Amino acid sequence: MDEAPFKCLRCGHEFKAPYDKKAPVEHACPKCNSNSVRPLKAKTRPVAKA
Amino acid sequence: MMDVGRHPRINLLTYSEIDNISGYIGNFHVTVRKKARFVDEAECNACGECEKVCPVVAVDEFQQGFSSRKAIYMPFPQAVPSVYILNERDCLGHNPIACGKCSDVCEKQCIDFDMKDQLIEFDVGAVIVATGMDVYDPTEMDEYGYTRYENVITSMEFERLISAGGPTTGHFIRPTDRETPKHIGFIQCVGSRTQNGKGNPYCSNICCMNTIKDSLLLKDHYPDTEIKVFYIDIRAFGKGFEDLFQRSKQAGVQYIRGVPGEVFEDPATKNITMTVENTATGAIEDHEFEMVVLSTGVIPRNDSEVIRSLLSLSRTEDGFFMESHPKLKPVDAPTGGVYFAGCVESPTDVKDSVTQASAAAARTEILLNAGQISVEAITSELVPDTCTGCGICVRVCPFNAITGGDAKAKLPVEIVEAACKGCGTCAAECNFDAILMKHFEDAQIMAQIDAILDKDPMEKIVTFACNWCSYAGADLAGLSRMQYPTTQRIIKTMCSGRVDANFVLHAFEQGAPIVLVSGCHFVDCHYIDANRWTQKRVEKLWDDLEKLGIRPERLQLEWISAAEGQKWARTMKELEEMRQQVTEEEVDHTKQVLKEARLKAEAKKKAKESKPKAAEKAPAAAVA
Repeated sequence: MDEAPFKCLRCGHEFKAPYDKKAPVEHACPKCNSNSVRPLKAKTRPVAKA
Repeated sequence: MMDVGRHPRINLLTYSEIDNISGYIGNFHVTVRKKARFVDEAECNACGECEKVCPVVAVDEFQQGFSSRKAIYMPFPQAVPSVYILNERDCLGHNPIACGKCSDVCEKQCIDFDMKDQLIEFDVGAVIVATGMDVYDPTEMDEYGYTRYENVITSMEFERLISAGGPTTGHFIRPTDRETPKHIGFIQCVGSRTQNGKGNPYCSNICCMNTIKDSLLLKDHYPDTEIKVFYIDIRAFGKGFEDLFQRSKQAGVQYIRGVPGEVFEDPATKNITMTVENTATGAIEDHEFEMVVLSTGVIPRNDSEVIRSLLSLSRTEDGFFMESHPKLKPVDAPTGGVYFAGCVESPTDVKDSVTQASAAAARTEILLNAGQISVEAITSELVPDTCTGCGICVRVCPFNAITGGDAKAKLPVEIVEAACKGCGTCAAECNFDAILMKHFEDAQIMAQIDAILDKDPMEKIVTFACNWCSYAGADLAGLSRMQYPTTQRIIKTMCSGRVDANFVLHAFEQGAPIVLVSGCHFVDCHYIDANRWTQKRVEKLWDDLEKLGIRPERLQLEWISAAEGQKWARTMKELEEMRQQVTEEEVDHTKQVLKEARLKAEAKKKAKESKPKAAEKAPAAAVA
């Protein structure tokens, strides 16, 4: 399973954990143990115009 | 097994696999693939002439590879039915016939090379899943040298070597020199209770007693053998088990608390040496054995996923099937009309397996004798006129209780009430409000939200709690007199899967500073996997809120079990701190933004609904 960045919406801690959208697993923040952890989407870099 | 084979009311299908199971409690339709054995079951009298002439030599799986079999063979001595089987993969060729010696010698002409797999279909009212388990393969635990050192064997291999029906007719010998070993070591918990990524973290339950039995067997056959057992704990619970353990010790078997980190082979003698820390004495000890037996754990069957998907079952973290309730319904599957027996549910010994099987048979009898079932009042109900047949509910239903639906043909779905357990995930996911969840209808829950936020909404945390776990967790916190803020207001749903995105948005639009969605931990979900949909929905809501300029932090998610009263209290304290940080300006902005978004969506919906009407009128106007 690939790893994805997560952000805890309770304490703000950012971490990486296995993530598969098709087979969701229970996630918990390693710092505060909250389950309010949001998978962060990879930010795409804006394409510079010529 | 013989009795089962002869029973007039039991139809035993051996060498068969389940191809498909459809339907629901009381009305299952099963398709079984009866594999071609290329031998006529009715005619074969197991004379064994075919086996004698077969030129193929293959590994005998039943004897753990210690002996060989032919391509046509009896799977094991007590096989029921007692007829031969031709292994298509090992046979020199039957299409075209390349050898055919077996067919030539069979006087009764039982061998049919043209035999094909048969599909057998029948209806049943209930299903008992008793597919057993697999044994852990310790090859990955390289430190124990299994497959590297010939004199390191597993407990299953030991079983064959000591068995009178085994390859050595019960004479226990070591593989390298065929001599009876005088010093034998048993290593416990191989592949069980591990935390290092190899093996499994759970206790396999049966290995301790199996080793104790094996040690007594050895002492019985060879009283002079020196036996040492290396263990973490000896788990000899159960009737007569402790007595057997004491008998083993009295027979001279030494039990040493500590397992070796690594074993080595002496190239000259092929003996196995190891260093162990005896944790009972604190001493570091060296031991040498002529043979080492790895007491391997058990694992779920590797094909259990097929049964899981056919019957909509769920699995616990260790991979075994999850029962409906660990105390009150230990042999019931969450899917109605499905029961468990034996190691499919957890590692289980013979006695417990028989107990479970008897219980499962009794549960089935109750169901079948009644001829009818009472369903819960909390089930889904379809609003056929609103259903577009999109099929999203079919996809999310954990119990396969919703069938049909065709968006193109505008055919609505069908809900099988007998199979519905009332999680409400379908109602939450339906974009057209075409499913009513009895007793938990949208209007009822919206009314609760309105009532909660009618006065002082800034002082409230709207909390959705599932009936089975998080609500019970809150209850436990209260019963245990744990102190936590009183600002949360609970709305109970049967499952967190019922929490519609609109409920959350409505709560925010009504001025809620914080909303919490809470449910069972994934492994505890009482509706198989309904809370996975909750997580997906909340993740989408976080994205949607952010797009609208609302802090996603204000929507919280928590999995709280019935035993986690402390977690409930701690969560409430943390959420109260978060609530105090939400300003009135922020809530007003949220209300404004959500109201605009809702009105926009409603206008869009109205426009979409009026479009087909216009299209319907157009041809009529053209005719006029």
